[in-house]
Amino acid sequence: MSLHRNSRKYHKWLMLFIGLQFVVWSVSGTYMVLMDIDYIHGDSLVVEQKQTIAPEQVSYSFKQLLTEHPQAKKIELGLMLNKAVYRFSQNNEKVTVSAQDGQIISPISEGIATEIAKQNYDDKSVVISSVKLITETSLRELSARHLPVWRVDFDDFASPSFYISADSALLVTKRHSFWRIFDWMFAFHVMDYVDESPDNKLLRTVSILAFVASIFGLVLTYYRLAPAYQKRRKGKSRRVKLSERKPRGAANEKK
Amino acid sequence: MKKNNKKTSKYFKLSTIKSLHKWLSLLVFIQLFIWLGTGIFFNWMDHDKASGNHYRQAMVKQDIEHIRLLDPQAVLIASHLPASEINLVQRLGQPYYLLTHDKGLYKHFDSDFSLVDAYTGVTLEIDKTVASALARASYNGTAKVSTVLAVEPPIEDFLKEQNSLWQVNFSDELETSVYINASSGRLVGHSNEDKRFVDFFFMLHFMDYPLFGQDAVGGFNNWQISIFAILTLLFCLTGLIWTLELLIKGRYKFK
Repeated sequence: MSLHRNSRKYHKWLMLFIGLQFVVWSVSGTYMVLMDIDYIHGDSLVVEQKQTIAPEQVSYSFKQLLTEHPQAKKIELGLMLNKAVYRFSQNNEKVTVSAQDGQIISPISEGIATEIAKQNYDDKSVVISSVKLITETSLRELSARHLPVWRVDFDDFASPSFYISADSALLVTKRHSFWRIFDWMFAFHVMDYVDESPDNKLLRTVSILAFVASIFGLVLTYYRLAPAYQKRRKGKSRRVKLSERKPRGAANEKK
Repeated sequence: MKKNNKKTSKYFKLSTIKSLHKWLSLLVFIQLFIWLGTGIFFNWMDHDKASGNHYRQAMVKQDIEHIRLLDPQAVLIASHLPASEINLVQRLGQPYYLLTHDKGLYKHFDSDFSLVDAYTGVTLEIDKTVASALARASYNGTAKVSTVLAVEPPIEDFLKEQNSLWQVNFSDELETSVYINASSGRLVGHSNEDKRFVDFFFMLHFMDYPLFGQDAVGGFNNWQISIFAILTLLFCLTGLIWTLELLIKGRYKFK
């Protein structure tokens, strides 16, 4: 009996403080599981690129590139708007050069970045609403390692943005409103509103208290639903009613 | 919030809310404890161990004699399949051209590659011996290779992987497995008992249960969790309304 009463007391009091986080967990959790993760990543906004490099597009070789740029690492021959280009890393920076004559192309202009964004965007009827060069970031949605980067905003459902690296001329990040909401949902789910790291002290404290509060809740469920206890409870409440009537009856008798 | 409560009480009877809360608790309590328990585990676990990279080391890179590099134009002409990219990579200290014939948006998506010796133009097939040597080069333990197996997706250690891989197993105390992409020779990753243990907890947290003939997918977009998330959301909201009611009725009192 006292277990029942204590459980009710502790469940009630703990949930006054932890209950709101339970709502936050269930709202954010539901959002995250109902949203298709591939859509959240923006993968469905991107058209699959099918172009291949024709041999005659490449008249500048890896050999020449390494002679001119001996520090080049991670060299790759690829495409930029149907032109063959080399991309490589040099002192932690990306460089793009033409595969026709080795001319340095990067950093790319606004016009080229816009074209690349358009080429990658699945729905060709959508227009671009703004293009901006970003050189430093405090944005949650953009990692500093991608800088400098062109942000290309599309005038479409959920305001998608494509980020085109100015150095590698590649699509590096895709974001839209549902990603932005998802990001906040995750932050609230792990209770770390800045770094979104799940090993923080606040989450630890709250989740342990939540566990304890839930155990008291489970005890309550048991007492509410266990058949043996149900019978006793009904019997008890009848007795309570009877005992409530008694003094009234007694008072009446006195009158 | 008070206003809200008054509004809802017009539409629902509070007794219905309470009875819903009681019955929902019976439906979700097991999964709720799994969520809380695994959540506390993620908060507390050793994130380095969880990566599965206990015995992983960076592959040794050799200097490239760029004078000997083949002309990429010739490589493209010699290739049976057209390529969209040529990367200058190293495999076991030797330079190779990695030709991308078909590439998904991410590394784990279905792709098709071939490797050509960058000095001689000879094609490198990633067979058992090569895969084993590549895995060995990424491993800094003292244990020997026990088995080398060709594995097809779904691969339990990397559920999202869509490509054929070589699984190179080491006979160490952590049961380390190293995975090598069968067409590119790229190191996909290391896995071991510590990572598998954490993966098991993720399966529980994401309700990614291989049930009713459906496989685990390594994600949280599945119908089991969608249903339980909605039920749990209702459970938490009924709890919230109940708490608000207790607050309004002045049931929270310090004695």
